[in-house]
Amino acid sequence: MSTLANQALAYADVLHNLARYLTGNETDAEDLVQETYARALRAEHQFTPGTNLKAWLFRILRNTFLSSYRRRRNDPTVGGLDTVAAEAEGAPPADWLLGDVELDRLRKVVAEEIEAALMTLSEESRTVILLDLEGLTEGEVADVLGCAVGTVKSRLARARATLRHKLKDYAR
Amino acid sequence: MTCDEIRLQLLDYQAGRLLPEAQDAVRVHLDGCADCTRADTVEQELTRLLEQRLPQHPASLALKRRLAARWAEPPARRPWWSRWQGSLVPAAAAAVVVLVAAPLVYYDRAASRAAREQTAMVAEAVNDHLRLIASPRPLDVESGGLHQVKPWFAGRLDFAPVVSFEGDDEFPLKGGSLGYFRDRKAAVFVYARRLHQISLLVFRADGLPWPSHALARVNGVDASVAAERGFNVILWRRGELGYALVSDVDARELTTLAGRLTRER
Repeated sequence: MSTLANQALAYADVLHNLARYLTGNETDAEDLVQETYARALRAEHQFTPGTNLKAWLFRILRNTFLSSYRRRRNDPTVGGLDTVAAEAEGAPPADWLLGDVELDRLRKVVAEEIEAALMTLSEESRTVILLDLEGLTEGEVADVLGCAVGTVKSRLARARATLRHKLKDYAR
Repeated sequence: MTCDEIRLQLLDYQAGRLLPEAQDAVRVHLDGCADCTRADTVEQELTRLLEQRLPQHPASLALKRRLAARWAEPPARRPWWSRWQGSLVPAAAAAVVVLVAAPLVYYDRAASRAAREQTAMVAEAVNDHLRLIASPRPLDVESGGLHQVKPWFAGRLDFAPVVSFEGDDEFPLKGGSLGYFRDRKAAVFVYARRLHQISLLVFRADGLPWPSHALARVNGVDASVAAERGFNVILWRRGELGYALVSDVDARELTTLAGRLTRER
């Protein structure tokens, strides 16, 4: 096993976590992680030493997911990956000024409700929130998403605002 | 800056990612703006919810075994003569070059790989420390002594953190918290030195690229001492557990604490 492979296997848990939130089910998540490692192994020579291996693997996983989703979308005989087309997100409402009661309710939201609210967001919003939670820098997130660093900031702010708004529905 | 501009900077501000001047500007604005302070509180609350309550879905053991088996497969090999056929002379010349250069290249690559591995581990420890500091509730359990902090982790981790230093006047134990180191859960013990916070992360050590070069000896334990972004970090492993000690106190003081933590009881 190569050194890179050894290092990459240490990220199986975080890759599976993102895969699970992208696909919405265990079977597709496991397939996605396995395909991600297969692609990474084939492209090992493209990894730049000294850069963030975790971010590189996330980029491969997301690209694999998107190409798989496009392929399935064009194939009427298969289902799955339905959560990627979460409802369209318009501009999030300006709900910064939650009252104390609403803020207190927000604090009582349970794990399942946060997961359910997150899964209603678009794939892009889910991804940017989860990558930020993983501690990736804005530059690394931009690399994964294939966008400018400045775009990451605004996408993350919009995604979190939308999630906050969704959570208000649960926090009652 | 306007309120809208400030609110776009809040996440970076909370993570300490802004330049010092911008960090100060946001702090000054928050001091005088109740609406933005409320927005800051809401963002902190959302971060806390996501960090502490969003369910994590780690890979199953079966998947990890499948991945290891797949990646361990050696690449397909061609017969040796097909690789050298028709090019024996250039091959012989290349062999001479390889014999001379290989040790140097190997040494260079091994050294740079070790440096990269150490850098990644150190950066992770600093990020985890910063995440804890930025958290609106950095301590899940306030310290009434080690006998209160350690039992709190029972049922929250798949291992028992082995820590016997109860804190003292120089390094009082403030409490504990649940954290993550890379892909795994960590027990975080928070000590203090004057007004500085010191985080000790304890986690399963397996599968991590532990530094193997330039190690210092602390109470019979091989430890890696490094600095990153103004923080000092000491990493070591003992048995099946790994330890990362992180703080902005100077390296000498941090090493003193590491000595107390690694002392056999």
